[in-house]
Amino acid sequence: MRVTIRRILNREDEQVIIECAEITPEVRDIRAYALAKGTALTGMTTANRMERFELQDVYYFEALDEKVFAYTKDKVYEIKGRLYELEKTYTAYHFARCSKSVVINLMLLGSISPALNGRFFAHMKNGEKLIISRQYAPAIKSIVMGGGKDER
Amino acid sequence: MKGKGLLIQFMLVFFIVTACITMLSGFLGMIFLPEMRFGYEAFLSPPLFGFLSALSGLITKSKKELSIKQMLFRELLQLMLIEIMVFGANHMFGTSFGWQLSVTLAIGIAVIFVLVYVVLWLNDRNSAKAFNAKLAEFQKRC
Repeated sequence: MRVTIRRILNREDEQVIIECAEITPEVRDIRAYALAKGTALTGMTTANRMERFELQDVYYFEALDEKVFAYTKDKVYEIKGRLYELEKTYTAYHFARCSKSVVINLMLLGSISPALNGRFFAHMKNGEKLIISRQYAPAIKSIVMGGGKDER
Repeated sequence: MKGKGLLIQFMLVFFIVTACITMLSGFLGMIFLPEMRFGYEAFLSPPLFGFLSALSGLITKSKKELSIKQMLFRELLQLMLIEIMVFGANHMFGTSFGWQLSVTLAIGIAVIFVLVYVVLWLNDRNSAKAFNAKLAEFQKRC
């Protein structure tokens, strides 16, 4: 495959165009990789400072009292938007709803283990333990184990 | 869990409870009431209790997301409901037990109840193992 890089002036106009005869799994991988890279978010830290952070560093989003928080390895950011919007927007980046108030990053999920009554614990790679409710467990299994919709 | 998943769980609970109640009735009968004889209708009692026990699982369902403590509380309520159901049904049909048989039966029901949850948990553990094996592959692929 030929690779061409063309320099442009505006950062906002940066884009990756994939020209292919057929959408193969490799092409999907390249697309997912390109989508996952360089997606920056802005949020308010606990010290009331606005900071930029990368989407790929977010372990999970949580809705608490009408506010939405993004949790990275060692920081918590309050961000704008609704949880369902984040879920919809970042499905392509492998984020998935695991309970009514939490959307997790499947790329930073370490493992799952059974909890009570069809629920599972999600052990994140930073050591945090979240609940996957039985309502959302089938969808998460479907994404990871096949048949999931991880494309926008 | 919806539709197919709920149905599978319902059937799983039904069959485990039916099998366990059949065995429990057999053992307790042999020990405490060896002289008692039943008609064919007695065969219907274990599946009936199996069905009612599976149905009592509805008590653990909620539109709200329950915490682990709330879920444990509801499961305790479910166990009490099953105990009341079994003793109530026997009382309705005029069967009375001595205290020894009553205590053994109550403990037996609790053991079956725990056993059902252990089987369901083992089922979930297998499903979690399969998921974890695919998770690493998924993360490498994406």
